[in-house]
Amino acid sequence: ITEEAVTTRENTFFLSECFFPAAPELPIVERNWLIHQHYLRKDYETCKVIIKNQLQETNGMCEYAIYVQALILRLEGRIQESLELLQSCTILNPSSTDNLKQVARSLFLLGKHKAAIEVYHEAARLCDKDWEISHNLGVCFFFIKDFKHAEEHLNAALQINKHDKTFMMLGKVHLVAGETDKAIEVFKRAVEFSPENTEHLSTLGLLYLQLGKYQKAFEHLGNALTFDPNNYKAILAAGSMMQTHGDFDVAMNKYRVAACAVPESPPLWNNIGMCFFGKKKYVAAISCLKRAHYLSPFDWKVLYNLGLVHLTMQQYASAFHFLSAAISLNPRMGELYMLLAVALTNLEDVENSTRAYEQAVNLDESNPLVNLNFAIFLYNHGDKTGALDQYQEMQRKVNILQDSSSSFEFDPELMDMAQKMGAALQVGESLQWTKAGKDSKSKPHSAALAKNPSTPLGTNQALGQAMSSAASYNKNIQLPAGTVASQQSLRNKQWQDFV
Amino acid sequence: MTSVESGADGGRWLDAHYDPVAGLYTFSSCVDLADLSGDGENRLVVGDLGTGSSGMKLKVYRGTALMSENTLLDLPAGLVAFFMDLHEPRIPTIAVASGPCIYLYKNLRPYFKFTLPSLEVNALEQDVWQQAREGQIDPLTLKEMLESIRKKADVPLSIRSLRFLSLEADDLDEFVQLHKQQPIKRQTVITCIDTLKKSTADEDGVSCLVVGTESSDVFILDSKAFIILSKMSLPAPPTMMDVTGQFDVEFRITAACRNGNIYILRRESDKPKYSVELSSHPVGLVRVGKNVLVGCTDESLQGFTQKGKKLWKIVLPAPITTMAPMDLPTRGFQGVLVGLANCEVHLYRDKNLLSTIKTPDVVTSICFGRYGREDGTLIMTTKGGGLMVKILKRTAVFDDRDSAPGPPLAQSIRLNVPKKTKLYVDQTLRERESGVAMHRAFQMDLSRVRLAAAKAYVKALESSLTPMSASLSEPLKMNAVVQGLGPSFKLTLHIQNTAACRPVMNLAISFLYDEKLYRIRDPYMRIPLLVPGLIYPVGTFVDCTNDKGVADIIKVFVLHEGKSSPLLTAHINMPVSEGLAS
Repeated sequence: ITEEAVTTRENTFFLSECFFPAAPELPIVERNWLIHQHYLRKDYETCKVIIKNQLQETNGMCEYAIYVQALILRLEGRIQESLELLQSCTILNPSSTDNLKQVARSLFLLGKHKAAIEVYHEAARLCDKDWEISHNLGVCFFFIKDFKHAEEHLNAALQINKHDKTFMMLGKVHLVAGETDKAIEVFKRAVEFSPENTEHLSTLGLLYLQLGKYQKAFEHLGNALTFDPNNYKAILAAGSMMQTHGDFDVAMNKYRVAACAVPESPPLWNNIGMCFFGKKKYVAAISCLKRAHYLSPFDWKVLYNLGLVHLTMQQYASAFHFLSAAISLNPRMGELYMLLAVALTNLEDVENSTRAYEQAVNLDESNPLVNLNFAIFLYNHGDKTGALDQYQEMQRKVNILQDSSSSFEFDPELMDMAQKMGAALQVGESLQWTKAGKDSKSKPHSAALAKNPSTPLGTNQALGQAMSSAASYNKNIQLPAGTVASQQSLRNKQWQDFV
Repeated sequence: MTSVESGADGGRWLDAHYDPVAGLYTFSSCVDLADLSGDGENRLVVGDLGTGSSGMKLKVYRGTALMSENTLLDLPAGLVAFFMDLHEPRIPTIAVASGPCIYLYKNLRPYFKFTLPSLEVNALEQDVWQQAREGQIDPLTLKEMLESIRKKADVPLSIRSLRFLSLEADDLDEFVQLHKQQPIKRQTVITCIDTLKKSTADEDGVSCLVVGTESSDVFILDSKAFIILSKMSLPAPPTMMDVTGQFDVEFRITAACRNGNIYILRRESDKPKYSVELSSHPVGLVRVGKNVLVGCTDESLQGFTQKGKKLWKIVLPAPITTMAPMDLPTRGFQGVLVGLANCEVHLYRDKNLLSTIKTPDVVTSICFGRYGREDGTLIMTTKGGGLMVKILKRTAVFDDRDSAPGPPLAQSIRLNVPKKTKLYVDQTLRERESGVAMHRAFQMDLSRVRLAAAKAYVKALESSLTPMSASLSEPLKMNAVVQGLGPSFKLTLHIQNTAACRPVMNLAISFLYDEKLYRIRDPYMRIPLLVPGLIYPVGTFVDCTNDKGVADIIKVFVLHEGKSSPLLTAHINMPVSEGLAS
């Protein structure tokens, strides 16, 4: 800079004016606006210095300075200290709702929900129509599991003023209380109120997915991705739906975005792995699933998929380990035992295989595949009566599934196998497989989805399962007496995660 | 001015000037551009907050140089340049708001000081001071009475009373003597200031001043006579204001308040007409055309209509530090500049990001307008006190990018799928071929391991090798501590009787060790009666007799008199002796 002559006019003009009486004028040292400016800009260090000066000059009587100091302390995690300061604020100015609200907030953060509710009620007496008070009361009631009151207060908050936060909380209250329909209504209103809020869109999409309304689910998830292409939750859910329909490449495109944002997500790598599996790139599938397994070693779904892929790769010994690990984590699932039985059959351990099948049919309630596989196994080992029993049990399950929804689609391979089996067992009447729903490819398996209705939203639990088929061929087992060589049909279920 | 191309933002801006040590501490509300000498060349006027407590200055820059500096008496809360009369030449007046006053400067000389009217004083407070003046009550009583007024009253106490209440008992009398003759005044302070055209929309029309105060009021002041034209009140102290329209015709004041809400005031009413409840505090408030853009502390930028209806919301990559309008009437361009804490300044038109300017430091204030003779000048000050001037190139174009950006970049990044080695593939093939054998071998080995483990466990239980005694008559627990560097170690055994109430008697400790390596001073010790629950330390010394740096295990047995098998056994891994053997 070129140094120019700087003319500095010392300005004594204001001082010389005769404003000053004999007694010194008491300076107004309130710099609340300056404190607020720095507080807004998150410049907490400067803020603290100004507050310290101001409190020194006023002997600690400046309410606003103490108030902001308390808020900063709270942001720093020193909640107890902030509570004490805020309480001293309420002593300085007992009629301020702001002070009471913050006291309640600090109490809330300390986990003293009941005390917080009391203070909020007190604040509500001073100022009855305040969105923040109603909202926070709702949150407090939610935490003490009083859902009725929580709902009441959150609805009151929405009547005063609509905020995204309140919608979210109200939806959550309904979900935890198990009222999915009401939650959907709330999120619908939320989406109407702020159509670009990706969190509402993706949550609503996931709820529809849970209910099996795929069209609507996809619509909302798609909208969420339009406004925020990096929305991890929506990517995973939408990707999983695409995977269900076999659009593996599109799903992979989406997953790539998510992999950049959240590279260490076990469900993501699980789904990527199953995408590769769908594309018949088994080694890549195993790599990805193993990464998912590394990231989340106690997730039985990853182990299930690993077992499945290894079965497909004819690595039965490895499959056995993954499946038995999955069973020790989730011992109440029939399909797992069935897969284990398939692995054991291939490892020529007939005794254990039989036991695994028995366990599988005991646990399973609706999957005809379990019985079909058991029937084939029994047939191959010469137990025709047992095979017939299982075949009839399978027929029963098929009929139930058909009754429950007319558009139910069965895997063609399952149907084919069952027919061959029926012929081998010389069962007279052949099973009627409904093929009405064949053209509507967009309406997949809904019964499988209804299985996990109680899984909470937003966790890494499965909200749905995708079905796809992959067969495991077994060349060693021959059906006797000139019947067709049997493929042991393995209707496999892939587990994909939605966040 | 030297001009350097800046490449980071598509070459739209010329770096005209950067002084990292200009020593400016200011906000956007304290920066303005005005033609202070009537020569058609705009100067930069900055209200500098100095150190935050002293050294406040009114600084005027011309080009790259500081032209003049005036000392300010108090921290400037806001600064505006405006025309207060119709005199020729048309030179604007600078109004600096600080504390309860507005200081006016004409031709950079102090011209007038306007003080806000005092607020209503609590009648009770006045009474009490009156009594004190007449000597009817002593300072202590005065203090008590004021205290009770403070707790109950709707009208807050004056500064004098508050100061009095905070004094120590010794100073009360002196304070009363000094101040009692003066009338009580209650003053508020200005929090923000803006201008409002009086009757014409002309660029150089006469303006009124609009002042927001700590007492949650908004005053409109006539700039000729300095009388209050209008007084409006808000539910909370305003922090920022945007004013549009003309006082005589129709105007609209959009005020962001400290309670996190935005209120819109109109000419006809002294109460807010519309209000917007935000979910976080507003940091910046800028009007672009008919819309109001608000930057919030939750790192978002939101658009509202004039009536406070929410239009859109976008999420920003970092917290907002300041905002300013960017208005280029010659090109018909209107946008908003947003300073972010990640050392960037973003230019938005509605919700579309047009340009990103990287700055060497966090920007604290932004001002865009005509500086010198250049219409499109961007002036920024930084947190470190720097002053930065950039000029918009005349060739620069801001085209609206499509609001829906295509697939995100991340989509084209290849997935990092771990590769599998040849060895892995070979192993896979081997498993396929001899999976059954592998499985059987594994199951066999697994059974063997289990058997071995079970055998070892049974053996341990049988020979009391564990440090916990499971026997019902003498449930004991023991742990050992070895202290020292060697060759002499202290070995302390802590023995506890874990029975509920029965004491244990007649116990002894003995050791089994390699006598070539160690010498234990008391190789046999009797243990006293063990009261349940207490921990008994039993210590002895172990000398290492070997200097070759070898260590061994010492076995400790807890024995019951008359029984040959031990109750407890502990294996102590001795450390290597680091000292020389004596």
